[in-house]
Amino acid sequence: MSAATVPAGTPVAPPAAAGKPGRDRYLDLLRTIALVRVVIYHIFGWAWLTILFPSMGVMFALAGSLMARSLSRPALGVVRGRIRRLLPPMWVFSLVVVPMMFALSWQPVKQDGLWWFVKLAWYVFPVGAPPFPWSSGDQAGLLEDTWAVQAAGPLWYIRAYLWFVIASPLLLRAFRRLPWATLLAPLGLTAVIGTGLVTIPGETGNALSDFAVFGSCWVLGFAHHDGLFKDVPRYLTISLASIVMGFGLWWASGHLTADGWDLNDIPLAQATWSLGFCVILLQYAPSWQELPGRLARFDRLVTLANNRAVTIYLWHNLLILATIPLIDLLWKIPYVDAHLGSTVEAGYTLLMTLVIWPLLALMIVAVGWVEDVAAKRRPRLWPDGRR
Amino acid sequence: MNSPATRGRNGRKKRKASRGRSRLRLPMRYLLPSTLLVALLAMLMLRGYVHSEILADHRVRDADHSDQVPKDVLAGGPVIDARSGDAKTLRIPDRRIVLTFDDGPDPVWTPKVLDKLKEYDAHGVFFVTGNMAARHPDLVRRMVEEGHELGLHTFNHPDLSYQSTGRIDWELSQNQLALAGAAGIRTSIFRPPYSSFSDAMDNKSWPVTEYIGSRGYLTVVNDTDSEDWKRPGVRAIVERATPKNGKGAIILMHDSGGDRSQTVAALDTLLPDLKERGYTFTRLTTALDSPSAHTPVTGFALWKGKAFVSAVAVSERITGVLVVGLAVIGALVLARFGLMLLLSFLHARKVRRRNFSWGEPLSRPVSVLVPAYNERECIEATVRSLAASEHPIEIIVIDDGSTDGTADLVEAMRLPRVRVVRQQNAGKPAALNNGIRHARYDIVVMMDGDTVFEPATVRELVQPFADPRVGAVAGNAKVGNRDSLIGAWQHIEYVMGFNLDRRMYDVLGCMPTIPGAVGAFRREALERVGGMSEDTLAEDTDITMALHRDGWRVVYAENARAWTEAPESVQQLWSQRYRWSYGTMQAIWKHRRAVIERGPSGRFGRVGLPFVSLFMVVAPLLAPLIDVFLLYGLVFGPTGKTVAAWFGVLVVQAVCAAYAFRLDRERMTHLLSLPLQQILYRQLMYVVLLQSWITALTGGRLRWQKLRRTGAVEAPGGVSAQRRGTGSVPERRPVG
Repeated sequence: MSAATVPAGTPVAPPAAAGKPGRDRYLDLLRTIALVRVVIYHIFGWAWLTILFPSMGVMFALAGSLMARSLSRPALGVVRGRIRRLLPPMWVFSLVVVPMMFALSWQPVKQDGLWWFVKLAWYVFPVGAPPFPWSSGDQAGLLEDTWAVQAAGPLWYIRAYLWFVIASPLLLRAFRRLPWATLLAPLGLTAVIGTGLVTIPGETGNALSDFAVFGSCWVLGFAHHDGLFKDVPRYLTISLASIVMGFGLWWASGHLTADGWDLNDIPLAQATWSLGFCVILLQYAPSWQELPGRLARFDRLVTLANNRAVTIYLWHNLLILATIPLIDLLWKIPYVDAHLGSTVEAGYTLLMTLVIWPLLALMIVAVGWVEDVAAKRRPRLWPDGRR
Repeated sequence: MNSPATRGRNGRKKRKASRGRSRLRLPMRYLLPSTLLVALLAMLMLRGYVHSEILADHRVRDADHSDQVPKDVLAGGPVIDARSGDAKTLRIPDRRIVLTFDDGPDPVWTPKVLDKLKEYDAHGVFFVTGNMAARHPDLVRRMVEEGHELGLHTFNHPDLSYQSTGRIDWELSQNQLALAGAAGIRTSIFRPPYSSFSDAMDNKSWPVTEYIGSRGYLTVVNDTDSEDWKRPGVRAIVERATPKNGKGAIILMHDSGGDRSQTVAALDTLLPDLKERGYTFTRLTTALDSPSAHTPVTGFALWKGKAFVSAVAVSERITGVLVVGLAVIGALVLARFGLMLLLSFLHARKVRRRNFSWGEPLSRPVSVLVPAYNERECIEATVRSLAASEHPIEIIVIDDGSTDGTADLVEAMRLPRVRVVRQQNAGKPAALNNGIRHARYDIVVMMDGDTVFEPATVRELVQPFADPRVGAVAGNAKVGNRDSLIGAWQHIEYVMGFNLDRRMYDVLGCMPTIPGAVGAFRREALERVGGMSEDTLAEDTDITMALHRDGWRVVYAENARAWTEAPESVQQLWSQRYRWSYGTMQAIWKHRRAVIERGPSGRFGRVGLPFVSLFMVVAPLLAPLIDVFLLYGLVFGPTGKTVAAWFGVLVVQAVCAAYAFRLDRERMTHLLSLPLQQILYRQLMYVVLLQSWITALTGGRLRWQKLRRTGAVEAPGGVSAQRRGTGSVPERRPVG
């Protein structure tokens, strides 16, 4: 089971009613790939997936682009709208998870005093990543005792997204005045606070670090929306991107962690690799009205994933944990227990990969409609674009 | 590294791309080169594998508790028989010695050990590792022939207590495979790496011993450890090895893994001493009075072993060959860069001197030939750019049977000095020859239908003809569409090709190609060599070589700039480059007799031709070695040095490119795409060249003859119908 404390990205980019004209299916496809990648990564924990497709950077870049589009309207309303659409799905998640934690005897941390309760409030308004018990329940229980870590771990993304949304009006103004400086400033910040040069303790440090690591991707989304990619010769963007990515790999090679090449643990490598990767993806952005050729068959999946991105992201890790007791039911079948034991053992993660999708589907049906309510739309059970 | 003498000619790319045959060839062109590459990499992998660069595990576990090891084993003899549920141990009877040598065979020390054993008529057991046995099968064979026993010591010497049962099985079977391949036997005795005495068995190593027993092997540890690998001196080795009180013993020694001169010397003392005390030196099974551990291997298993051992032998050699190849190519590439820098510097200094001139300024009118086939999009711009020429010219557009109304378009422009000649579709060389027949003047400029001249281009291009020895002049073709990645790469290639390669060739007097996009010929010279020929796919290279052989000088005019559109898709680029490289080979082959001829032809044949062959045909063929070694070095190390070397070559490239850009006063920003060019573009060019080689070596000769007889590269019948399909609209596809 991979560490959920180092989660990958999510799509909180609130999908405008999918299927409407003007929706760029290329971006939708990228978001879907990013989501699937995150789920697979959290099942298998393969570090190289973070290099193959830096999901979080891509998600933030896409969200940045959409944010820039929305900000043609008055900023305050846009920011409020974004927050309104983000929070209700999060509350539903918190309503399930937090009582569970307390039921499994979660105690306030004494040293934190009152501050601990403030942190608890982050489950309601996540300006910080909400706290969680490192051990909950016991090892012999239905879920692993680290379930809370895994379930709540991905919430840092919600916090980062919230920060970006709130900072966007300012960031966009800065970007339009000083595009290159605004684009590269987060990289510089990462080089300072993400490399151990300066360490900022606590949740502030985490928040600032995430903001810096993915800030360039977010701003890159602005550039994409403003059509600036057309103004710079393609060879130049691609060449510079590859140089930046090369730097990222080099940096990573010198700062490998226990997980090896997992860029989630190497901030500066993550920032540079993600930025370069997004530059290439957005430079060649073909802007599809509909998915072309063979991709067309994934149309409904892409639509669904985009309409329920927040739901999928919030719940996937908890559901991955839930696959384990489900798969363990197999042992109750005498034949499996007697003959296929080692096969099941060997293919365990594969089985998890198979079981996770139906569980996600159930969760979409169960709580996905909250996303629609939050967006002031008619709630739908299964919004895959079919009419 | 290999900027082919760039030509800026892509008028024909469209015709080529639309030919049905080229589509059928597609799988083959990928298949052959990739097979070659895969085979090469597989060989390198095999080498890395037997040299423990792959899959090697150097961890060694510290001693653990031994409460789970049966007491009998801990207190027992050095031969552990765990084949049945209950483990038994065996001891060597008194006055018997089993000498054991681990980790070999080693090419230096094992023969010496074997010699000593032979000298004293002693036998022993060699616990060989699979990788060493596979690399030195002759020594394994010798051990068996001289009556020694062989034991397994795993394939590449890991501490088995760290390994899964699957890996242990694999270590054993690979070790047996090497023995089968080398000596045609299997063995049933085994010694675990890093083992010592029975009483050193612990909770971690015992399960391994049990498992190996369950696979049918006897595990053999030792009674006395000579510790010869520490090189403590001959006396210490002998002392540690010698058993007390005439007891039997298994003595542990090593014939591999470093300097074993002390081991060999110790044998010289140990063997006679112990012999004197009544000891015999036998194989393990002889000492235990049991049947031999060896069983002959037959049938498929034997062939599998032999195949493995021979593959290892090939891979051992192939790396040597590759290293030599790499050294050659490295030297060649650096020498070429050095020469290019030097000669292009000399050339630029010469032609840029203030008082430099080719002779009297040439101002008489010249003819400009524009062969065009379906150039609807570009032809107007081309002709208009010519009409603005500062030099007096007549313009002859030869329409080679276009189906898109190219000729009508030109006629409708109603420009003075422009003539349109129509002909049945017959290919570019025929169109040019037709144009030459219609040309009025004694100097003929040739260009492509999609190329645009500057007003000064023609004037600059024809000035060298003031020198009566000059037969042809190459202009400077520039890539117009350089903003895309593939365009930028070709831009770099063109700038280097024209400013370094061509200047070098100019100075050396062996310019291989007048670019089809911008070149000028003395009509008299053309007529003497019989005009354009259809013998090769590269008529421009062919004619240039013919002019050299006829004694004409061919020079480069740097200020005669022509702007051309480079292929935008990999497919188009592939077709274009395939024609160039295959055509160049054809032209070199066609003019091969120049090597033995007299006069100017011989001079070109003995200096220019080998030079051009070396740099345009041979060197690029070896160049992929650099990438193969880059990959190998990145994966198996030394990674740091490999990357450093790669960057070193990149810097040399960048310096040359920057100099070329400076000579042409181009903006340096395009050089930013140079690193990526080295990773993606260069390899594409290799594969194209390799493809040309394969064509030349397989069906090439045959097709050649056929080409000669039909007389046209482009089959006239039904071609236009095929062509319409793909059209001439370039695909604006991003670089793959």
